[in-house]
Amino acid sequence: MKSGFFKQRYAELVVLTDSRAVKAWTVVLFAALLLAPMVLGPFLLAHVTVILFTLVGALGLTVLTGFTGLISLGHVGFLMLGAYAYAIGVTRLGLPPELALLASAGVPALFGLVVGVPSLRLHGLYLAITTLAFSHIVSAALLAGGKFTGAGRGITVLRPRMLGIDLSSDRAFYWFCLAMCVLAVLVTLNLRRSYVGRALVAIRDNDIAARTMGVNLVRYKLLAFLISAAITGVAGAMMAMYISIVSVESFPFLLSIEALAIIIVGGLGSVLGAVLGTVFIVSMPEVFAALTSGMGGRLADLMTTSAHEIKSVLYGLAIIAFLRFDPRGLRGIWHDIRHAWVYWPLRY
Amino acid sequence: MGYFVELVVSGLAIGAIYGLVAMSFAVIYKATGIVNFSQGELGMLTAYTSWSIATTLGAGGIATVLIAVVAGAVIGMLCERLIMRPMLGEPVLSVVLVTIGLAVVLRSIVTIGWGAAPHKFEVAGVDAVLDIGGMGMRVSQLGVIAMLAAALAGFWWFLKYSRFGVAMRAVAADENVARLMGISTARVQSVAWACASALAGLAGVFFAVIYGLSPTIYELGLKAFPATVLGGFDSVLGSGVSGLVIGVLENLVGGYLPSTLKEVAGFFLILVVLMVRPFGLFGEKRIERV
Repeated sequence: MKSGFFKQRYAELVVLTDSRAVKAWTVVLFAALLLAPMVLGPFLLAHVTVILFTLVGALGLTVLTGFTGLISLGHVGFLMLGAYAYAIGVTRLGLPPELALLASAGVPALFGLVVGVPSLRLHGLYLAITTLAFSHIVSAALLAGGKFTGAGRGITVLRPRMLGIDLSSDRAFYWFCLAMCVLAVLVTLNLRRSYVGRALVAIRDNDIAARTMGVNLVRYKLLAFLISAAITGVAGAMMAMYISIVSVESFPFLLSIEALAIIIVGGLGSVLGAVLGTVFIVSMPEVFAALTSGMGGRLADLMTTSAHEIKSVLYGLAIIAFLRFDPRGLRGIWHDIRHAWVYWPLRY
Repeated sequence: MGYFVELVVSGLAIGAIYGLVAMSFAVIYKATGIVNFSQGELGMLTAYTSWSIATTLGAGGIATVLIAVVAGAVIGMLCERLIMRPMLGEPVLSVVLVTIGLAVVLRSIVTIGWGAAPHKFEVAGVDAVLDIGGMGMRVSQLGVIAMLAAALAGFWWFLKYSRFGVAMRAVAADENVARLMGISTARVQSVAWACASALAGLAGVFFAVIYGLSPTIYELGLKAFPATVLGGFDSVLGSGVSGLVIGVLENLVGGYLPSTLKEVAGFFLILVVLMVRPFGLFGEKRIERV
């Protein structure tokens, strides 16, 4: 029987996975995702697409809140900036979509640097308030932007042709989202195990100790904001392409809460947590709706008349329940199950 | 000049509402060290509950205020008992995130329960316009300013002289030592939530009476936030006064500059204040020793 895993070399510590089973299952999952559009109906395909671009946004927040421990209540601001950067780039400035997509990472990253500056002086809650203020200022500025930002009416964006591939069909768009999502997962996974990622985690765990160990707080906090904003901005651009209209109303403050709910429910500070959380939070209202419509009666009526409210009640309850009963989130539960499986009938 | 004075006076009225909410933020922060992001929602729930009770009873002005205080206190205590009490001793971040969850839940419950359509909160006699030095002011607007003054005086006395107020300050200063001295943290937290919710409820009811009752009242929490930050989270009285500052500032910006700026004027102000004095104008500077 195994008595534990001992890592003896540095390379073993930073390797993404040393388990053959994990590698095999990853390949299976990837193949399944790649072939999904052939099997799934249009409704389920749309659902998985939503999961994919939500995951990109959740990974953006994971870098900032999960890795670095800087709470942001204003991530919807970066999402908006990304979406608008893409939409303005394509429709107003006539940029090719590839360049506009780059802009949707670049513009929020620039603003991320600006928002990051207060984080050098402010801790915890005060920072959360600053980011909250930031997202309100962004939406006010976009509303006041007149013709350039479309003000209250927003900007219509069509699905683009990118690198010679037409994304207007749902299948093509799904593959595009899958590619972006895999890219985002790889970026965050590799960031976490690199020197930068470990510096960020050190800041989260104890910033004073991290500084003593030679981590430059100014540089790494700003870098965390920059990377996080860039990833979130790309998610915003993908969202804009999906809903094909960019307006301030399509980015409500609730999205910031949803993003927090995702990373809390999944398990703070891990990429696996972000994935599990996204699947859980995005699917929860749909599963709940399916269950209640099966039961029929008043509950089903309520579900159709006030679906939006029910959805937010579920988010809220999920946040409260996970923080109350298992702050480690779904990832923690998954760990427990795995341990129980490996060590049964022993407890440890 | 007349326009300016008018803007300032109506700014004071809305500022008094912000001040009440800002005080409620500060009360909870002072007693438990957490920022309650569901403060605006507690105020909204109290406003709706009071509206239901007041319209069935046909209550007058003073009775409505009493109903708001009692309803607010009960709602605050319930939320504390059911949601916050089990989180005692957990990390601050978790507790704060729980209040965010609570906010989302309360907001939706109100919309499901009372519907999204706005209502009119009618109380006899409060729409009467009084003439003060050539300025027309409604009774309800004067009432909320008086209410803020009363709350400020009340809390000043409560925190300084009452046994419980001193206990609250002790818990805020050092929770562990306070417990060693025989103060029940849970009871202090419970009272703080009741007080805060009653204050926010008063603000919600006054807002509903003056501007109408709708599910957007929860935004009071967001609007009062700058006031709390400006005054300092641990300064109950400072937050109340800062509410007036934010209210007047917002009205002046709305009067002289493009109207979209009005919504974010307070946020701009706190961004500046936080950079210079991260602990607010009246807050205590905490010195971290390493």
